[in-house]
Amino acid sequence: MSAPAIVARNITVRFRPLVDRKPTLRRSLGRLQHREVEELVALDDVSVEIKKGEAFGIVGRNGAGKSTILRVMAKTLRPDEGTINVYGKTSTLLQLGVGFNAQLSGRRNIYLGGLAVGLSKKEIDGRFDDIVTYADLWDAIDRPVRTYSSGMFSRLAFSVGMAIEPSIMLLDEVLAVGDEAFREKSMQTMRELLARAGTIVFVSHSLPSVAEFCDRAIWLDKGKIVAIGEAESVVEQYRSRVTHKTR
Amino acid sequence: MSGRGDCMAGRNPNLIPSAKRDAAGSLGRRGQDRPYLAIPTPSGGRDKRSVSDTGLWRCLSAVSSYTPLAMSAPPSTVRRLFPASRNYIRDLWARREFAWYLAMGNLKARNATTTLGLMWWVLNPLLLGAVYWLVFGLLFDRGQVDNEFDFLPFLLSGIFAFFFTQQSMTAGVNSITSNAKLLANISFPRLALPLSALLESFVGFVTSIGVYFLIVGPVNGIWPGVQTLWLFPTILLHLIFNFGLATLVARIAVPFRDLNNLVPYFTRLWLYLSPILYPPSFLEGQPAWVHFTMGLNPLNPFLALYRHAMVGMPVDLGGALLGASAWAVAIAVVGGFWFVKYEGRMARYV
Ligand SMILES: Nc1ncnc2c1ncn2[C@@H]1O[C@H](COP(=O)(O)OP(=O)(O)OP(=O)(O)O)[C@@H](O)[C@H]1O
Ligand SMILES: [Mg+2]
Repeated sequence: MSAPAIVARNITVRFRPLVDRKPTLRRSLGRLQHREVEELVALDDVSVEIKKGEAFGIVGRNGAGKSTILRVMAKTLRPDEGTINVYGKTSTLLQLGVGFNAQLSGRRNIYLGGLAVGLSKKEIDGRFDDIVTYADLWDAIDRPVRTYSSGMFSRLAFSVGMAIEPSIMLLDEVLAVGDEAFREKSMQTMRELLARAGTIVFVSHSLPSVAEFCDRAIWLDKGKIVAIGEAESVVEQYRSRVTHKTR
Repeated sequence: MSGRGDCMAGRNPNLIPSAKRDAAGSLGRRGQDRPYLAIPTPSGGRDKRSVSDTGLWRCLSAVSSYTPLAMSAPPSTVRRLFPASRNYIRDLWARREFAWYLAMGNLKARNATTTLGLMWWVLNPLLLGAVYWLVFGLLFDRGQVDNEFDFLPFLLSGIFAFFFTQQSMTAGVNSITSNAKLLANISFPRLALPLSALLESFVGFVTSIGVYFLIVGPVNGIWPGVQTLWLFPTILLHLIFNFGLATLVARIAVPFRDLNNLVPYFTRLWLYLSPILYPPSFLEGQPAWVHFTMGLNPLNPFLALYRHAMVGMPVDLGGALLGASAWAVAIAVVGGFWFVKYEGRMARYV
């Protein structure tokens, strides 16, 4: 058995969003004293163990808590209860283009994005050519990013995310854009990462790609694990439940 | 971070129940999820830094809640009680280039679409000075300050210094709330964001000092000299003071967004209540309580020091340095610690 990469134990996350009801003067004043809160359990006692070299899928309906559990793994959200252990250098592609400034050139944004994910200036200098070549954007690199198509943008962002040479990648719906060629290329890169005993956590609404790409998967619903196991069987269960409901 | 075990504080059960299932029967394949066992920390997961949290660091870290997000290795008792702020400062230091690029990126982006582009760096303080000079120099002709010093250098030195503070606050108040994407995706010492805002305003301020001497040199014959060296301690203290203000407003604005709207009014009031458009001697003849209240303004010692360095006005150097230091340290300590104490929860509110 290979070593664990991510161990999440009994993770519970609760949000307390302000309830937005019709504002009245009395309510607004009352809000100053005790804010009207309604607790929302985004993750309810979730435990998973993800191993090195594994591609792990997460499926579930909108609002099931998929992004939330990735944020816990990325350590940008502290769980209310439970512990999370992460062993390795994480690249978090929860959203693409974090740290980018659309007004600035692609060149500048490689530095902004690279520094944001924790690379040093020197490291980016060394990897700059590879990043641009990988994204295949040499002819657009000095143009402001706001003039990029969304596919070009995500290619650049994905390349920057890969540049930190992560051993763990957290992907939240980020491969949905990009053309066929680039998708194939990024899949290839991810397979190489897995072959090097890297770990990928993959959130996607594209069930075929989860079934095909992932070894294991969980199905989350309303913050709880409904099923955990081999990716194909989890996807199959999820699919049958969803089609059953809509029928 | 590679190869090291990272751990978040919290409940630490020895045995983990296997994943809960709502629909117990709906599970196809059980063999796949073996019962979880307590996972021993991998051999590489020891943290060498967990030794000797001593003295000052303990005191500092006692108020820091940063560690739960970024702490490494299973916490020892010492670490649990005194989360390490040494790590915080080290992580922050590792982010210095990021803070700098973020600041410069914002500065560049602001003028990226304008025709004059980077000229605006110089034009902004120039126009700012021109507006106030038109109104308060020409319209309300103040003549000379204390019958001795030209009004123009007096005005510009005060205005430029004040706008450094104002810019730090307006950039600082947005520094967390406008970077929600960074907060949601990447774990780093959040202090890097108000610091970046501070850098951004600092670059503008340094430019405006250059513009100042370009104006008052030919016009009033004030050129940089030995006296000007007093700018260095003054700016240092002013930086610390503005750092405190930026963190303070950044912290408050997270749960209380209204501050974004309030800051411009607050700074305008502060401008009028400070001896910037009028000299301190303007208050002569006022009752004692007015003098007392106006004397509480933290900007007074800073302005006095700037006028000393840039205009050559006499100042009680010891008193001004002491006052400026006291305000700078007090605000920076309060703002900085309060910010760091809160930062673990910030991601939930942006
Ligand atoms: N910052 C927040 N404040 C309040 N509630 C939140 C916050 N972030 C998420 N939630 C809530 O937590 C629940 C889980 O959200 P999450 O983003 O994890 O869903 P998801 O599974 O990623 O959905 P999707 O498929 O639409 O991306 C939702 O009910 C959402 O409203
Ligand atoms: Mg999501």
